[in-house]
Amino acid sequence: MRFAFRELPAAGGGVLTPRPVVDIAVEGLDAAPVGCLLDTGALRTRMSAELAPLAGIELSGALTEEFFVGGLKTAGALAHVNLTVTNDASEFSWDAPVWFCDPWPYPFGLAGLEGFLHHFIVTIRAYDGYLDIEPNP
Amino acid sequence: MSLGVCREPDVSPTVETEQRGRCGEYGLEKRMPTMTVSGHQYNLDPRGVEAALDGVLPEPIHEHFVVINGRRWPPKQVLTLVTGLDRADFTTHQARRALVRLGFPAGRAAGHRGRAGRPAGAPSRPAASGPARPSTTLAEELRPFIGQWVAVRGDEVLVAAPSPKEVVGWLVRHRQRAQSMFRVVDSEQAVSGAAPQ
Repeated sequence: MRFAFRELPAAGGGVLTPRPVVDIAVEGLDAAPVGCLLDTGALRTRMSAELAPLAGIELSGALTEEFFVGGLKTAGALAHVNLTVTNDASEFSWDAPVWFCDPWPYPFGLAGLEGFLHHFIVTIRAYDGYLDIEPNP
Repeated sequence: MSLGVCREPDVSPTVETEQRGRCGEYGLEKRMPTMTVSGHQYNLDPRGVEAALDGVLPEPIHEHFVVINGRRWPPKQVLTLVTGLDRADFTTHQARRALVRLGFPAGRAAGHRGRAGRPAGAPSRPAASGPARPSTTLAEELRPFIGQWVAVRGDEVLVAAPSPKEVVGWLVRHRQRAQSMFRVVDSEQAVSGAAPQ
């Protein structure tokens, strides 16, 4: 599956540097796959805690940890959920640990090693502005 | 196709619009439209219509739209919100005609080819009510929505709202499926704060 790098508008006009973003659907939130920044330096896969109740994911009593992301201290609650990536031709689902974080002021979730990269062969073609993912057999 | 052009009143069994000149407090003539919609008479003014739409997200634009508060709205949704009538009581064309008479520009989605619809809450663009828009990148489509959560499909913004809850709610209500949902930011720092540079 191919994902074009995501462009966002820059405040002064033009666009920000396109970023590698994969769209991951959380079970229960199939209509709105969450844009997640591909982060090869991140151990975990993280998303905004705002999304958990929308997907019907119960976080009370979940294992939590505090950590810093981008210089900001935040707290994540762990949930094991089913994730799906899809395009017009194919679909792939897998079970993964996702940390739902509050606060999460970032525009995207983070697709890290645990929860995402362990499940795929990822080819990043930054020069051409896209990345390919293939489920790891 | 005309944009914001008031036509002569049409003969209609359910919606009639009449521009009535009245003398105001200082003798200035004000045009206060009185409308008969589905047998009920309403005194509508543009500000009242604008106020009725506060806090409401526009539904998908299938073909016709009116521009109110800088956003595009399906005419039937607006007239339903303003009058409380069931939308089955009048047609899109009747609603459109009534709103045009209140001074709201109207148009037809240029990209309408049976697609899911135009962005909910998209600011008005002159090109959208004229010939086909020039192709734009997703980044430019996102520019009006900086700071908001959006749901996109291809280069099309389906909906924009202050919270993911509102975005997801809109998608579910209108049976739409997005390709991606995220928050629009406009600085490198805001994007990369979550990843090492």
